[in-house]
Amino acid sequence: MPFLEYNTAIVLGGTTLLGFASGVIGVLGLLRRRALLGDALAHATLPGICLAFLLFGRQFGALLFGALVTGIAGVALVALLSRYTRIKEDANIGIVLSVFFGGGLALSTYIQKNSVDAAQAGINGFILGRTAGMVQADLIFICTAAVAVCFVVLLFYKEFKLLCFDPDFAAVEGWPVVRLDFLLMLLLAVTVVIGLPAVGIVLMVAMLIVPPAAARFWVAGLAPMMWLAGAFGALTGAAGSLTSTYAADLPAGPVIVLCGSALFLISLLFAPRRGILARARDRRRWRKRRAIRGFLRILYEASEAALPERAALPIADLLGRFPGRAREAEALVAHAARAGWLERAESEERAALRRSAPRAAAAAEGDDAVRLTAAGLQKAAEAARIHRLWQHYLRTSAHIDRDIVDPDAEEIESILPRAVLAQLEEDLKNAGTLPGGGAPVRALAGLPRELAT
Amino acid sequence: MSRPGDIQTPPAVELHDLTVAYHKKPVLWDIDLAIPEGEMVGIIGPNGAGKSTLIKAVLGLVPAATGWVRVFGESYASRRREVGYVPQRESVDWDFPVSALDVVLMGTYGRLGWCRRPGAAERKQALGALERVGMQDFARRQISQLSGGQQQRVFLARALAQNARLYLMDEPFAGVDAATETAIVNVLRDLKQQGRTLLVVHHDLQTVEGYFDRVVLVNLRLVAAGPTREVFTRDNLLATYGGRLTILDQAAETVRRFEDWLPQTGAEPPHSAARAAAPQRLLSPPGAPPPAQPQHGAAPQAARRPPGENHALP
Ligand SMILES: Nc1ncnc2c1ncn2[C@@H]1O[C@H](COP(=O)(O)OP(=O)(O)OP(=O)(O)O)[C@@H](O)[C@H]1O
Ligand SMILES: [Mg+2]
Repeated sequence: MPFLEYNTAIVLGGTTLLGFASGVIGVLGLLRRRALLGDALAHATLPGICLAFLLFGRQFGALLFGALVTGIAGVALVALLSRYTRIKEDANIGIVLSVFFGGGLALSTYIQKNSVDAAQAGINGFILGRTAGMVQADLIFICTAAVAVCFVVLLFYKEFKLLCFDPDFAAVEGWPVVRLDFLLMLLLAVTVVIGLPAVGIVLMVAMLIVPPAAARFWVAGLAPMMWLAGAFGALTGAAGSLTSTYAADLPAGPVIVLCGSALFLISLLFAPRRGILARARDRRRWRKRRAIRGFLRILYEASEAALPERAALPIADLLGRFPGRAREAEALVAHAARAGWLERAESEERAALRRSAPRAAAAAEGDDAVRLTAAGLQKAAEAARIHRLWQHYLRTSAHIDRDIVDPDAEEIESILPRAVLAQLEEDLKNAGTLPGGGAPVRALAGLPRELAT
Repeated sequence: MSRPGDIQTPPAVELHDLTVAYHKKPVLWDIDLAIPEGEMVGIIGPNGAGKSTLIKAVLGLVPAATGWVRVFGESYASRRREVGYVPQRESVDWDFPVSALDVVLMGTYGRLGWCRRPGAAERKQALGALERVGMQDFARRQISQLSGGQQQRVFLARALAQNARLYLMDEPFAGVDAATETAIVNVLRDLKQQGRTLLVVHHDLQTVEGYFDRVVLVNLRLVAAGPTREVFTRDNLLATYGGRLTILDQAAETVRRFEDWLPQTGAEPPHSAARAAAPQRLLSPPGAPPPAQPQHGAAPQAARRPPGENHALP
């Protein structure tokens, strides 16, 4: 037996295309806030399927057509209720959904009781989805409709984009907003209806929501989002229908939706920038970098008075700047030492003690002070320089453009225009507070606290 | 504002007997108004006065219960290519997955027509519009990552890309800082220089005289409309903001201040100076404590500390 039987292959093709179409149209539905309306639509199809069966018997096309008719009727009813009553749309969706679905369930029970054909009709298959019973003609029908949906979206991509982003502006520009909305709704309806045989009424809305939601984690633009949602949908459909074919007892709909949910979960966790893990990691890194830069600044400011000598800084003083956060402070000292920015030193008191009472000094354990190394001084001066330049910028020029201020930016040069930067540096130099830059920096002490502005 | 007998150039916007109602409750009532071409006109009124509704009625976004609207002497539908629109910023979802450039390109869609995608010419035009509002460096940025003022400027750029003769703008200065406001005002003045007509909903009474040639004072009804010097008076402001005493006093105060100032200086408004001198924003709620300093350009607290103060050596 070949790996894929012919029938399995066409089912696979059908669900893949269906998944692609529902991912693409789902993006627009989601952005136009029609996701829940899609759910109402799906549930409102059941009475149509049943009525079509009662009228025309088991004809795939007729059943889907019946589904489309009552599905759209349900959506229209939601729109009418929202417009002409004071009831809000979400409540109307709930009302329509339950009334139509309840009616449909009653009808399908009636059919089951009274029709010999019922099992063949597979009306229950429409509720939870069933790929096994599909025949080639059905699948060709599904594929054609899915391709048509994608084609229409491609054709009116620009119009739909405008409609979803700013319908008022679209109306002002003369686009027929109501008709575009109707077209979008029709595309959603067609996608839902062709998805029913495989995915089922209950879970069809997931095919419209889950792939776009997952895609949003990976990309930022509308077109990339549509392509990726389409790809996710296709993958979902393919994986789900394969699984349900080889585990014949499972209904197709739940399996397909579970595959989609797995994709969503992976996106939620692992997407490179918007995923939960990436964001947590970014935040952690940012905080650490920030803490280190702040500590470097503290080291510089503590050393500044004695420059160009690199003063010994008592560790107790350094730790004293982090009240209640001793562990963090120790970690920072350790980090700076590992990075080669700090070396051991001796505080003045200890030096004095050693001179007067060498034995007592030797009895005290370890070193009680550190000193910036040459490399450390350079790093620390740079951190202080950037900090002071931003401070000065905020004080003097933020009314020009506050949006660009980023005190954590490693390179102020790439953000501020060169002339502005030169002016800021000039000001700091005149005030004697520009760190580094080769020239010896005057001590901070004795200077007016406010910089010249 | 109408100039009877001036048949050759119809007014840019003409409203006759216009009444607009939501659920049978009128929010604009019997408005008669004509805006001559080439002027920068401010629409002033308290919250809920119907300013946005007035603009939407001109644009056909809300139906008129009675009366009619003419744009350049014709129906809006036949002149819509010549009208640009800047909606209130809150009217769209700024989490939408598009870039600033994408939004500005939307201003060219009307000209493109059905199914044609914007090409190189449109991109160039959109980038030019972004440049005019000082946003060229943000073209590729997702709109969700823009600040409020930058979003406002993107909307303005989209309107510029529409290349219209008449612009209707709903609170383009809402929530922007002083620098952005200046940038936007300069763009608006440019447009006026080119002979375009601007109808701008505005909230800050202190800057009205500096910005607008004409004002329209509305509060449900049309209180007054005409050249700013004639119409932007204490009495009219009292009539517009009627009943709210604290605001009235402040409004009167503003008018007085501007009357004091007008004879001494030239045409340029003492915009930022007046702002800084004002003890309180005009429309801030009664009893609100006066801000410690001008709100615009206020830097975060920490940044105002002199360096070294909190890390001073022992
Ligand atoms: N869609 C709507 N449905 C019902 N009432 C509305 C609607 N839009 C506005 N209104 C009402 O119409 C009146 C005028 O609203 P409008 O938005 O025109 O005021 P505005 O002058 O623009 O106010 P603001 O300064 O707050 O923007 C308000 O009382 C408002 O509550
Ligand atoms: Mg408004």
